[in-house]
Amino acid sequence: MILNLGDDAKEYGKQGLRAFEAAGGDQLVQQAEAKPELRESLAGPVLSELGAWELDPRTDADGLEAAAALCRSAGYWALPYPVAERLAKPTDLDVDGLIVVADNRPSGAVAGLELDWTAVSLGGARSAVVGTGAAGPAFVSELELSAIDEDGLGDVALGLVLPCWTLLGMLDRAMELTIAHVSLRKQFGQTLSSFQGVQFQLTDAEVERSGVDILAKYALWSIGADRPEATDDALALRMSAIEAAETVFRVCHQLHGAVGFCDETTLSWLSRYSQPLRRLPLGLSATRDVLTGRVGGSGLTGLFS
Amino acid sequence: MDFDMGQKATDLRRELRDLVKAHVPDDYLGAFTDNPADLETAQQFCRTLADRNLLCLAWPEEFGGGGASVWEQTVVREEMWAHHEPRGAQYMGVNWVGPIIMRHGTEEQQRKHLPPIARGEVIWCQGFSEPEAGSDLASLRTAARRDGDGWLVSGQKIWTSYATMAQWCFLLARTSWGEKKQQGLTIFLVPMDDPAIQVRPIRAMLGPHHLNEVFFDDLRVTEADVLGTVDQGWSIVQDVMSFERVGIARYARCERLLAAAPTVLGERWDDLPAELRARWVRVLTHCRRARLMAYRVVDLQSSGRIQPGDAAAYRIAVTKLDQDSAEVLMDIAAEVSRDAPRAKWFLGEVEDHWKYSQASTVSSGSIEMQRILLSRALLAGAK
Repeated sequence: MILNLGDDAKEYGKQGLRAFEAAGGDQLVQQAEAKPELRESLAGPVLSELGAWELDPRTDADGLEAAAALCRSAGYWALPYPVAERLAKPTDLDVDGLIVVADNRPSGAVAGLELDWTAVSLGGARSAVVGTGAAGPAFVSELELSAIDEDGLGDVALGLVLPCWTLLGMLDRAMELTIAHVSLRKQFGQTLSSFQGVQFQLTDAEVERSGVDILAKYALWSIGADRPEATDDALALRMSAIEAAETVFRVCHQLHGAVGFCDETTLSWLSRYSQPLRRLPLGLSATRDVLTGRVGGSGLTGLFS
Repeated sequence: MDFDMGQKATDLRRELRDLVKAHVPDDYLGAFTDNPADLETAQQFCRTLADRNLLCLAWPEEFGGGGASVWEQTVVREEMWAHHEPRGAQYMGVNWVGPIIMRHGTEEQQRKHLPPIARGEVIWCQGFSEPEAGSDLASLRTAARRDGDGWLVSGQKIWTSYATMAQWCFLLARTSWGEKKQQGLTIFLVPMDDPAIQVRPIRAMLGPHHLNEVFFDDLRVTEADVLGTVDQGWSIVQDVMSFERVGIARYARCERLLAAAPTVLGERWDDLPAELRARWVRVLTHCRRARLMAYRVVDLQSSGRIQPGDAAAYRIAVTKLDQDSAEVLMDIAAEVSRDAPRAKWFLGEVEDHWKYSQASTVSSGSIEMQRILLSRALLAGAK
């Protein structure tokens, strides 16, 4: 049993964290929101320097772990770039990235980028993205699709799992910021962290974050080991990650108080930019419905199935 | 990464399931029912495991164990708890009493206590909680006062599991008062057949022969009964807690019952409300989460990298899972036809699971204590 990413992947993730900080850190997402057309120039060079596009997560086990670690680091800084979607690109199509989409109103956080995307439905139908609608919050645009084939079932799991690693990085950061805040902020002459009500909220959020951490590793392993249930494992991860994000961000906002909503506070940006990861391709209820329908009475692979 | 436990673990799991099938009645719900045959089943099953060197699989060979990996021991914990702990009360001796005596006991104590545990011949109880000292264990009042070359112990313990059937007690008593209440506590290993000890059962929804009060009235103990150092017992208590936090694989019973539900329902499964089936999938995912978090704790513990918060996070997740799964299973059980195949078995299991799960956030360190431990760990990182 090896329950953690390899040392190389962990080191690569740390390099990513340092590189994103050096490239602008928390300012990147704010600059990109002001001018979405700058997304490529803000994040592209640092990703290229990191060798992100030389990773081969679909055929190389080390590359898979490194890709996950990089997505987590990107999430930590709310990097305004679809790193996970680019790393999930299929191997048999000459495109820049892969977006898993819902059957209804297929959408992706692609505004401001000039890239060739393939979209894949949860049922495996692949399409070329031939146009995008008006940009909404957090760079999300509706996608105009042109059907390619029905051969994308094997693409789905990685397309679901890597964005969960990005979301995990956001949860890491949200917790870190909140722990720092409650350790400094004083009310009634005491730091917030001295109140048990605050402490217990933090622990509930941390249990959720910690659970996503281990489920994300399991789902990644399931893909790398080519297990037939990898897509179910990806959906189970996604369901838990969305639930966890709801708890973590609610707790973190609550404990930050009013300052957590301000543009000068990083939590505010993380919270807003976590939305596409939590709602696309499907939100919590729809993700749970899909997983329930897929597994039927067999449930998830485990000790007794 | 590799989440596959390997072939040895798979083979062991199969062997244990075969043994359970052969030696444990299908309707067995633990050793602490009103049916004396259940206790006998557990006693016999322990001897069966011991004969195959499976009872203390993870113990070092020098202490009568199998020297197996922590993952094989994890498999044992999972299979035993999933099948209502057919080792009965003896799981405590195997899981933590024995290992603690290995770490802190004298050679004489090891020679005296470890072989009977390894042979499946002895039951231990834990004399920790008191009426005024539950979560705040260090406030306990049971006192050992000096008397010649030994001590006389007087006081009361409560919520003591298995005390009516135990031969030995792992007793925590106050021997002095230090600056902090955690100082001045001592562990004594005492025989339960001493006339100075009286046990009064407390009937409860957890099982009619599970919980007890234990009264000590000038129980004579000596230096030879002390585990570790006099007045330094609190560090051993911490050690015990770290074993206890992963000692029970609660997720395994949850998963076994959840996995059985569709089979028991048969064709009616698809007629269940979609929302209930979705809750079932959700709690199955939480089973997986708790199981993997347990594996993480086992991994960290075995490599000496464990931090207090790691086990606490797992304990919070698994005890909440116990209760969440029980609620979902009770809702599913309400849909089961009483004449369906396996209905009697399933309904009995689910009712027992629901009752027992109510205590999971209270026993072995309440969920509030786990939250305190975890929050301390989180906030320590900020300093």
